[in-house]
Amino acid sequence: MDTMRGDTIGADAPDVAAIAAAHRGSRAALIAILREVQAARGYLPEDALRAVARHTGRSLVDVYAVASFYHSFSLKPRGRHTVCACLGTACHVRGGQQVVEALSRELGVRAGETTPDGEFTLETANCLGACALGPVVVVDGRYFAKVNPGKVRRILSQARSGVAAPEAADGERALVTEAVCPECGRPLLDAARPIDGYPSLQVSAQCNGWRGRARISCVDGVLDGAPENAAALERVRLFCPHCSAGLNDLLRCGECGVPTVSVLAGDGALVQMCGCGEQRVRRAEVEGAGARREIAQLS
Amino acid sequence: MRSLSSVEDLAALRQRLAGRGERAIPTIVIPAGTCGRANGALDLVRAAKRELLARELVGRIGLRVTGCHGFCEMEPSVLVAPHGTFYPKVASEEMGRIIGAAAQDRVVTDLLFADGEGERIERQDDIPFFARQTRRLLGRNQEVDPTRIEDYLASGGYAALAAALAAGPEPVVAEVKASGLRGRGGAGFPTGAKWEMLARQPGRRGKFLVCNADEGDPGAYMDRSALEGNPHAILEGMLVGAVGTGANEGVIYVRDEYPLAIRHVSMAIRQARALGLLGERILGTDLSFDIEVVRGAGAFVCGEETALIRSIEGKVGEPRQRPPFPVQRGIDGKPTLINNVETWANIPLILEKGAAEFAAVGTQGNSGTKIFSLVGKVKRTGLVEVPMGATLGEIIHDIGGGPVGAAAVKAVQTGGPSGGCIPAARFDLPVDYDALTAAGSIMGSGGMIVMDAHTCMVDVARYFMGFLKQESCGKCFTCRKGTQRMHEILDDITRGEGSPEHLQLLEELALAVKDTTMCGLGQTAANPVLSTLRYFREEYLEHIRHGRCPAAVCKALVTYSINEACTGCGACRRACPGEAIRGASKERHVIDSARCTKCGMCVTVCQFGAVAVA
Ligand SMILES: Cc1cc2nc3c(=O)[nH]c(=O)nc-3n(C[C@H](O)[C@H](O)[C@H](O)COP(=O)(O)O)c2cc1C
Ligand code: FES
Ligand SMILES: [Zn+2]
Ligand SMILES: [Zn+2]
Repeated sequence: MDTMRGDTIGADAPDVAAIAAAHRGSRAALIAILREVQAARGYLPEDALRAVARHTGRSLVDVYAVASFYHSFSLKPRGRHTVCACLGTACHVRGGQQVVEALSRELGVRAGETTPDGEFTLETANCLGACALGPVVVVDGRYFAKVNPGKVRRILSQARSGVAAPEAADGERALVTEAVCPECGRPLLDAARPIDGYPSLQVSAQCNGWRGRARISCVDGVLDGAPENAAALERVRLFCPHCSAGLNDLLRCGECGVPTVSVLAGDGALVQMCGCGEQRVRRAEVEGAGARREIAQLS
Repeated sequence: MRSLSSVEDLAALRQRLAGRGERAIPTIVIPAGTCGRANGALDLVRAAKRELLARELVGRIGLRVTGCHGFCEMEPSVLVAPHGTFYPKVASEEMGRIIGAAAQDRVVTDLLFADGEGERIERQDDIPFFARQTRRLLGRNQEVDPTRIEDYLASGGYAALAAALAAGPEPVVAEVKASGLRGRGGAGFPTGAKWEMLARQPGRRGKFLVCNADEGDPGAYMDRSALEGNPHAILEGMLVGAVGTGANEGVIYVRDEYPLAIRHVSMAIRQARALGLLGERILGTDLSFDIEVVRGAGAFVCGEETALIRSIEGKVGEPRQRPPFPVQRGIDGKPTLINNVETWANIPLILEKGAAEFAAVGTQGNSGTKIFSLVGKVKRTGLVEVPMGATLGEIIHDIGGGPVGAAAVKAVQTGGPSGGCIPAARFDLPVDYDALTAAGSIMGSGGMIVMDAHTCMVDVARYFMGFLKQESCGKCFTCRKGTQRMHEILDDITRGEGSPEHLQLLEELALAVKDTTMCGLGQTAANPVLSTLRYFREEYLEHIRHGRCPAAVCKALVTYSINEACTGCGACRRACPGEAIRGASKERHVIDSARCTKCGMCVTVCQFGAVAVA
């Protein structure tokens, strides 16, 4: 390994530095850091391992040993989509092996490999915890039950088209491609002011006497996220900017318990959004100094 | 909600929540654990919300999204509480009818559960799958939305903590000892005795409690369901443990393959902290205890105690020699007690009911209930909870409904890679730690994989040996090489290249690996081989002597053919990736065995069952 190269690239690894800093003083930090670096980079390239070693004070040998011991880590680039087939006992006795072989044949790669076009990484797992539904295949976090070789092609084509439908069956982030006010039917989505690269929902907001505009990430379905930001939507009332109909719903988020915000998606589906999410401001961003302070206080 | 500053505060809050009347109105309960979601439960949740809005029933009909109730095969399902009406496999379009009926206190008869041709059954509790269980733990999953601490409190949650605080350390440990609870992680070590050992350790530098949620047994998911469905019960169990042992730090080590469990447990911890149920001076008492979630990274051996500790410390998860035992030297050198998820989940029950009532279920020396993951070739699959000492037959036939199709049930595999296969002739065995060990398997953590005439026992042994070969950390030579060699031999046999001497060699290797390895992985690695050799030697010999796989599983020993049921529809011909099938339209097709790769595609696409594998 060329030290020069490692050093220069390492110095350019501010992402690793930030991740390592966030974990300073935490137990098991190394595994958690590697997981986050992998999430950010897609895999664990050599320069990232070097940077992790430098920022954690562990030797490169140590870091490499951990990265190669645990199956969750990948030292090779991964595809855009991850296809993971279960080879646990329950899935095995129901023909899981044939499913893996079919996937392997369709994709032209073996388990653990990535297709040359960078689209798919094929993996196997020892058990995905849905044993009653075996054989199980998980594609990008979405579970497919009772899979057999005949269903493989359809699963892959579904994976290629992605989870763009608002009614994503797995409840992972539901991308609203088109959203209108349930009351007046006028559009709420604004492509010109994206959050996280996606169009955001533009609504009116009211909070402690302040009135202004709020933007909500459209990538968030009702069932994603964590509760610490729950208060945000509980305190902020949201309205349609066109007809002023209230959008805060009486129904509470199934995940965190705060009232949700209802909008109608393009195909007529009612999508409910919740303020829960890892980082509040990403999810329900409220413009205007007064409101921003209010939200900042809640963090 | 404000942070609670005393036990009285907690009681008052619980009373206020219980009195809100949320539980009195008819409530649509939708199980949406990982299994439910895989079956489309979240679409049902959305449909339910839409219907409640459209019919202006918000406030009159409740909606509760919960973890798994156990009947995963029938998901997405709906339970209408409190009456207990059960609707299996509900399509989103039917949600309106179900909600409409619930609002008028009616039942939608044509959507009810029916067992085959049998008559429809209205209430969940009357369905044999549920009726024959004792659902002490699983039954609570349907009462709470796991993401709302309010639900847990309203259904009596954290009362065991209050009772433990009132009782003090020694009585708490004494109660757990008296309950006879044994560890649910596999070894069955008495929990109270383990707690007592930790309580006696000097605690100046602090002590750890660990919840082992690595659930490595492939085919088992009891722990996932507990973590996803009722995480506060585990936190409460650990808090009671902290009272009893003087521990001040807790870790829940969750396997990486369980993202929803990680999410729900993390949420529960945050909620408990916000209420002052975790942290410094809990409920205004001297108890200080906090819990951190540590995620695994996909290594089976990390479920072993000493490897688990290393992994928690951020190191390579290799086991080490014991003693010193974790209770003496664990995480960061501090005394550490490790219990399984289900063990922790039982603790609140013991404190609530009292040891005597807890032990009233089960048998002498094996008290309480145990959850099993009843999967594989069985008609009704899912999670089932039974008193310890129930027989295998009761679980597989009475609750599980026996075989899926015409093929008879042949065996059941218990205990995962450390366990073994028990033949159907021994299904009168009671399920407890001692009886299953005597039969050459182990109870393990609760995986129960049913096998029928279409399961090859040599293939099963080969499967487990492949698993163990892959998961052996490699530290002990005999484990690393022994599992590899046994796998090679088994692989040869499944390819028709075995000899009778191979069986003797297998037995010798098995004993060598058992006796010369350090951790439980190696010590039990031979069980799948030894138990199948013991009960299914004939199947091995059939492979060896006649090059025949009686179950028609071993690829090298089977041939595919098309029988007279073929209608000549051409589905198999079009699907065959090897272009090995020929035939004119509406005429019986044939498989060219020279080109056939035995991939199974034709079997799955044929609608007439015309492809024979033998
Ligand atoms: C190879 C190996 C893997 C294990 N995996 C697990 C596991 O996934 N979950 C678990 O609770 N115990 C597992 N155990 C058992 C633990 O070492 C330990 O006995 C258990 O967590 C103690 O908790 P209990 O007394 O509550 O059963 C495993 C043991 C071995 C040897
Ligand atoms: S065995 Fe495949 S999900 Fe458990
Ligand atoms: Zn389920
Ligand atoms: Zn075979």
